[in-house]
Amino acid sequence: MAALVGLRACFSALQLSSPGLLHSSFKLSAVPLSRRTFAAEAKKTYSREKPHVNIGTIGHVDHGKTTLTAAITKVLSDAGGANFKKYEDIDNAPEEKARGITINASHVEYTTANRHYAHTDCPGHADYVKNMITGTSQMDGCILVVAATDGQMPQTREHLLLARQIGVDHVVVFINKADAVEDKEMVELVEIEIRELLTEFGYDGENTPVVVGSALCALENREPELGVNAVMNLLDVVDSYVPLPKRELEKPFLLPIEGVYSIPGRGTVVTGTMERGIIKKGDDCEFLGHNRSFKSVVTGIEMFHKSLDRAEAGDNLGALVRGLKREDIRRGMVMCKPGSIMPYQTIKAQVYVLSKEEGGRHKPFVTNFMPVMFSLTWDMACRVTLPDDKEMVMPGEDTSLTLTLRQPMVLEKGQRFTLRDGNKTIGTGLVTEILAAKDEDQSNWG
Amino acid sequence: MSFTFLFRTVTRDFAKISVCQHVQSLHTGCRLLAAEKALLMKLRKNTGYTFINCKKALEKFDNDIAQAETWLNEQAQKEGWSKANKLQGRSAKEGLVGLFIQDTAAVMVEVNCETDFVARNEKFQQLVKDVAFATLAHHRNKTQSKTGYVKSVLAGDELSKLGVEEGASLSDRVAVTIGRLGENMSVRRAVTVEVPAEWHIGSYVHGGVRGQTEVAMGRYGALVVFQAGEKGEWEVLGRKLGQHIVGEAPVSLGNMDDLPCGESETRLLPQTFLGDPSRTVAQFLRGQQARVLDFVRFQCGETASEEAK
Repeated sequence: MAALVGLRACFSALQLSSPGLLHSSFKLSAVPLSRRTFAAEAKKTYSREKPHVNIGTIGHVDHGKTTLTAAITKVLSDAGGANFKKYEDIDNAPEEKARGITINASHVEYTTANRHYAHTDCPGHADYVKNMITGTSQMDGCILVVAATDGQMPQTREHLLLARQIGVDHVVVFINKADAVEDKEMVELVEIEIRELLTEFGYDGENTPVVVGSALCALENREPELGVNAVMNLLDVVDSYVPLPKRELEKPFLLPIEGVYSIPGRGTVVTGTMERGIIKKGDDCEFLGHNRSFKSVVTGIEMFHKSLDRAEAGDNLGALVRGLKREDIRRGMVMCKPGSIMPYQTIKAQVYVLSKEEGGRHKPFVTNFMPVMFSLTWDMACRVTLPDDKEMVMPGEDTSLTLTLRQPMVLEKGQRFTLRDGNKTIGTGLVTEILAAKDEDQSNWG
Repeated sequence: MSFTFLFRTVTRDFAKISVCQHVQSLHTGCRLLAAEKALLMKLRKNTGYTFINCKKALEKFDNDIAQAETWLNEQAQKEGWSKANKLQGRSAKEGLVGLFIQDTAAVMVEVNCETDFVARNEKFQQLVKDVAFATLAHHRNKTQSKTGYVKSVLAGDELSKLGVEEGASLSDRVAVTIGRLGENMSVRRAVTVEVPAEWHIGSYVHGGVRGQTEVAMGRYGALVVFQAGEKGEWEVLGRKLGQHIVGEAPVSLGNMDDLPCGESETRLLPQTFLGDPSRTVAQFLRGQQARVLDFVRFQCGETASEEAK
């Protein structure tokens, strides 16, 4: 046991000694950055030269989540990678409170040597789940803040549970307030405890990086070993431990079809905005949806009446396809890389139901409710089945639902959609699971 | 360099262990000893109090774990009060509605906190349970001799004065929980209902907390007082009515013969019945040969946001 603790102590000492080197490299890279900030003081332009990552802080109340956020911006603003935000600026976003709708878009951004970060605070469980479903903010990784004086506390558990639920796979631990405990072994006990907790929630507790420091020291410019250096070390660990999210360009291509035209002498052209991936002239493609399926080849790509060889995600384009008639294809189908995606009829989804104030219904709904589902460019009637432990869904709640479409349409895990009924938007959701179609689904719908 | 460091740390640790067994009294507590560390871990696991307080307690009572634990509990009470005073005024809009029915009496309470993370916490749920039981006990004492229909509504300040066991009041309980969870909390309101033997109480709690069997808890709750209906189906009928009340949020009862006036109907009886949209509630009740006499609906945070306006 003692040997283990000794090993740990050695390890953390090594970790603490390394940021000195790193710190200097930050400064080196920071020079051009700060110059640019001065030049563009009037209206800053967002530069996209560094990969973007979303990150958040979680942890028990008063353990210093907001202080840490402030400290990060302070440390990085000294290096030119952020604007210093004071504790008060972060803690209460008045415009959000006034509107009463918690769509908690991240309001803190900063840049390290390698990456650009957007930083989110965790407003509440339901709020966060709502943000995740509607897509306003996501977390690619998070920093779990624990006070060395307290150890893990009730909300540490709840936040970690949330992180697990919404699929945050990478957690970095920051043991805060290390300046307030005089003996180092207590910090070690806290570390052991937090590793146990992480393992309990299904994380890799043994290998999760843990940084010890004090956000307050960093803010007040004292004890650099626990203050500035620890924060720098933390950022470095985040840089290396949280992986970059996979980019849309690397995925197989998908073009939801917005319109189909027949050009005399050329053939059939489909138009739309590339959802993801890259297409090139001569690529094989597949058309799916509305109970149809065709294979073809892209023989030409045009954008703004100019032909091009290659189009990528986000481009608004027209594609000339070989051997298909205009009547074969209709809006709502997709053009995709053959075999990369399939139409499905029954899915499980996590849905946020809008409250009356947000423009939703004022009434609850029950099983067999039939709204219309909108996703990509298609819309299709669907039937709602509530989970077994729920009898109804109230406006303003999030819930898991099983949805059965009238016809199979292109759906995949992680796809977003909207549910509408008449002229009201009921809610928005995220596909969490594809279910096998049952025979009864077909017969019920005719 | 790291190897020598490792070696030094290990040897130091070994030395510490061998020393602490023989000359424990020489150490003055500036460093933790191995034996003490195990105790500290144990105390922390048992009580859940913060590391720093557990350590203080052990130092104070010379590693007597039992004494340390009682001291920690006392301390928690004190700290809870100071924390509660400090946090007073922070708005608490989240929380839980707790509902408990026993024989012919029912109680429904609302306890607020700041975020829904806390509402998911066991300690908070225990508090809701305490409040529900204390309210019911208070109600029993007051209405022992009375018979017939009794409905009493209690506001926050009256509730705080209610006692729980051993002379502590509910506000003490709230303070301890505040100290533990670090958020402002308040016991918002409570209602108790007692009915004569031939009437029934139906209930429904929505947005529920799983795993709470005794006292049902959730974000919405409804109590319905009704008469008759077919025997053996009281529970189902009560639940259906409760569900309708939670969902459609009626404001008043209305009459059996009232005509419905559209989507925005706020009287219960002419509303379209949630479980069967082809009928109104009154028509549904006629079919079941039942009568609704009264109802209460709690939505978590509704009074708090009204006050804010």
